[in-house]
Amino acid sequence: MVEVSVFDRIIERYERSEESLLAILQDFQREFHYVPEEGIRRLSEVLRVPESKIYAMGTFYKALSLTPRGRHVVKVCTGTACHLKGAPQILEALERELGVKRNGTTEDGEYTLECVNCVGACAMAPVTLVDEEYHGQTRASKVMDIIRKRTEE
Amino acid sequence: MEKISVIIDGKTLHAVKDRCVLQVARENGIYIPSLCYNSEVESSGGSCRVCLVEAHQGGRMRLVTSCNYPVRAGLEVKTDTPLVRRIRRGVLELLLARVPDSEVIREMAAREGVTEVRFRRDEGENERYKCIACALCTHVCAEVVGVHAIAMTERGADKKPATPYHKPSEVCIGCGACAYACPTGAITMKETDGVRRIWGKDFPMVRCSVCGAPHIPEAQVDWIVKRTGKDRAFFDKCPDHR
Repeated sequence: MVEVSVFDRIIERYERSEESLLAILQDFQREFHYVPEEGIRRLSEVLRVPESKIYAMGTFYKALSLTPRGRHVVKVCTGTACHLKGAPQILEALERELGVKRNGTTEDGEYTLECVNCVGACAMAPVTLVDEEYHGQTRASKVMDIIRKRTEE
Repeated sequence: MEKISVIIDGKTLHAVKDRCVLQVARENGIYIPSLCYNSEVESSGGSCRVCLVEAHQGGRMRLVTSCNYPVRAGLEVKTDTPLVRRIRRGVLELLLARVPDSEVIREMAAREGVTEVRFRRDEGENERYKCIACALCTHVCAEVVGVHAIAMTERGADKKPATPYHKPSEVCIGCGACAYACPTGAITMKETDGVRRIWGKDFPMVRCSVCGAPHIPEAQVDWIVKRTGKDRAFFDKCPDHR
């Protein structure tokens, strides 16, 4: 359970208007690695925007997650170019290595594995993102090395 | 209100400028099928695509949704051309593939000669089995009722109306306006022993002091009293015994 004051500190950074919604939700996402239910409720109270509307926004944007995500987010691009260059194999190998299905989070809350549709870097295919950092011409073993290094840091 | 004249299916009609084509057609007894439009709901329409018509203006023709296309001087509308019928059949075929269980869609499609679909039928989860994701229910809840209990969640093929976290809503008053407005009967509202169940929440009903019939949820009375200051005693009796 997160204290209400933690949400308030983030909300206070923005103007109290409906237009601030997305920016605040993004900050929630960054801070907690997901958008907590209590956060949406508090935001609804402070900005006087219906909870249903904020919840709908949370489900609409792929950048927002309503369930807790891992400390590290691994995104495998499965767009057309990456698909041809072997993204499905990378995805399968990562699922095996991390012991989690796509769009799932490991039990220790360390990693979330996701697949995304084209990150606009097709020349580097196959592309994998580790915590928003782009890695091109990847193989599953290379991605695992990057992940391990990240965790040690 | 500025009056103009438009032609719909060859008939010259006088209409209020900027009123939508569908409304003008209805007022003049011209049938255009539609699902997601409700003239009482400001932002309804433009979603189901069933009411497509040909709009001819300035020597150009466009297929438009008649529910949100404004009538202007010089506009000619054709509601029943081979093109309109063909596109409408396509729209209905897609709708039928999505909600094969909806009687309304089945009947409307059958009227246009669509009984089979070439697409994979949607085996969707129960909650949206008949839902065409037109959002009319959410517009009614927000604009007409004013409680914002439901909103359109998710996106693409998963888009559906829902309460936050699919939990019983804290603000829903159980009025059932969403279920009433839904064009395909996708929202279930059940009443047993004076309790109404909708969106996963139970609403105790007020019983009529004359006939004993449950006729309005207590939460809805609270809402009306709060919003309008109306005398609570008014709701002691059902509409038949007032």
